[in-house]
Amino acid sequence: MKAVFKVTDIVVLGLVSLSVHKFRSFLTALGILFGVWSVIAMLAINEGASYESQEALRRMGTDNLLIESVKPPEEESAAARERGALHYGLTEEDVKILTSNLPKVVEWVTAHRTMKSAVRGTRLISVQVLGTTPGYLELARLRLRQGRFISATDQLRGRNVAVLTYSLSRRLFGFEDPLGQAIRLGGLSYVVIGLVEQPGRAMAAIPAEMVSNLVFVPARAGRMRFGRYTIVRTGMSRYGERVEVSQLIIQMADETSVIEGARVARSLLRRRHDAADYRITVPLELIEQRRQQRRLWNIMFFMIASVSLLVGGIGIVNIMLASVNERTREIGIRRALGAKRRDIITQFLVEAVALTAVGGLMGIVVGMLVPVLVERVLDLTTILSATTILIPFFMAVVVGLISGLYPAFRAARLDPIHALRHE
Amino acid sequence: MSELVRLEHVHKVYPMGRSSVHALNDVSFVIERGEYVAIMGSSGSGKSTLLNLLGCLDRPTDGRYLLGGQDVSQMTDAELSEVRGRRIGFVFQSFNLIGQLTVQANIEVPLFYQGVPRARRHPVARDLAVLVGLGDRLGHRPTELSGGQQQRVAIARSLANDPLLLLADEPTGNLDTHTSEEILALLDEAAGRGRTIIMVTHERHVADRAGRIIHLTDGRIDSDRRRPAAETAP
Repeated sequence: MKAVFKVTDIVVLGLVSLSVHKFRSFLTALGILFGVWSVIAMLAINEGASYESQEALRRMGTDNLLIESVKPPEEESAAARERGALHYGLTEEDVKILTSNLPKVVEWVTAHRTMKSAVRGTRLISVQVLGTTPGYLELARLRLRQGRFISATDQLRGRNVAVLTYSLSRRLFGFEDPLGQAIRLGGLSYVVIGLVEQPGRAMAAIPAEMVSNLVFVPARAGRMRFGRYTIVRTGMSRYGERVEVSQLIIQMADETSVIEGARVARSLLRRRHDAADYRITVPLELIEQRRQQRRLWNIMFFMIASVSLLVGGIGIVNIMLASVNERTREIGIRRALGAKRRDIITQFLVEAVALTAVGGLMGIVVGMLVPVLVERVLDLTTILSATTILIPFFMAVVVGLISGLYPAFRAARLDPIHALRHE
Repeated sequence: MSELVRLEHVHKVYPMGRSSVHALNDVSFVIERGEYVAIMGSSGSGKSTLLNLLGCLDRPTDGRYLLGGQDVSQMTDAELSEVRGRRIGFVFQSFNLIGQLTVQANIEVPLFYQGVPRARRHPVARDLAVLVGLGDRLGHRPTELSGGQQQRVAIARSLANDPLLLLADEPTGNLDTHTSEEILALLDEAAGRGRTIIMVTHERHVADRAGRIIHLTDGRIDSDRRRPAAETAP
């Protein structure tokens, strides 16, 4: 019990001593403040960025495999272009083989993409038309904003109905209600039946401005009206491109089978395709990559933190040694009046830790404000968690403890007789 | 009277390069409880060394020192700190108050290191401050006090732990005659209440307040005389 009183008294004593040199203590604490706030802010920004990219991937579905047709590199397509038509990408046959050979396929959906102009009144906007089936809404994780998506009946009857992204409908219709109204695609009239939110940027492996101009039509209607060819004009020449399936989304039973499925799909497609005219995207793998990136960055930030805390720690050693020197006589008096060596050690350690704790607390305050500013000004997501706040703080306190050790032991080792005579 | 301090053939040797200095050379004496003893000697006679030993700030090179029947000559640093904190009160020539603490906190320091809780330290400090005539200065800092007042605080502090032995090292050395008289009166008062006091001084008239004068020359006792009891009675 006595020991408890004594320790709390010594803690108070340490704090009182610091308040004697307020400005000096503040300057010393500043060193720690900078270390702590910068790390908290860096961690918050890194966590935020990592969360955003992971979230975008998660929106693609962690159970999903996404396989897309891509135009092969120039050299390879040049020969085909000579013949007047370029045939590349996934085929119906690929889809059949993939979906029947991959283990634990729950569901799958394909989409066929053509470039068209959407016309309404005097407005003309180039869009991507995706011919697809009702299952696309769910598998591509699209969010319906208004109306409905393509139905089985639309599909069966080959109805000329279209679902637009919200931003496209705003461009075509302004603030009018687009539902039930008609637009023209490649000269044919389509009735707008629904609006979806713009899919996440990471979902469609296409430029951002294209993501916003999406039109979904029933696959059958699309195929009947637009065929499988797209005419591409490049300078003087024009040639046809033929892609059977632009996009295949496969939903697997669980995350383990996604990894396995991706492996099987890669080896199957490698055997069936000579050119690199497809791309397999596995959100789960990407998430894992991002996670590792984040870990890497975090390690780097901790190294930066360690350096700045080391500098702060040296400052503390310096100031504590000065303090021990200045207070040699006080130490002598305390020793004469019954203070044991460990009482002296405790007193100086408390001072060192208090310095860092105060610096650390100020660092937390600044470190929490900076991410808020960053969010406001730079429009970035930041994430502050208890760990990102507390770890730098405790690192600082540990630095204080270590920095205080040498000066404290030096103070405790002073001979009381000499210390009492010290001027 | 019972025996409080017993020195048996105490030597203190300080190494000085190749040679060494024999600061105390075969010093033996006994001090009874309640005695008021002055230690005199010219500078370099070993009186400071003796006081350091008596105050458990240092250990003899050879010989034994028994304080209250307890052999303190072989104690560890921590044990000596404990003995200082519990059994000894110090009054220094240069007062040695802690500048950043108030009068009250300064008086409490010896109790502080014994783990006496705040609530019990406060009344002790207040009573002692009143005793030395500074009951109205509890919140002051040492720099706001005169030398005499500071030494009174030091005396109050030396009594805080109710010590077996009060050691005073030239307590009036930094004070003018008038304030010296006040400080010595306080010590007389303590002696009158049965406190054992050992005081180092080189001033004859100060030493004369004590009932016994031990004179040191070159680390040896060269006289140890008691004044007749009648003379010392207050």
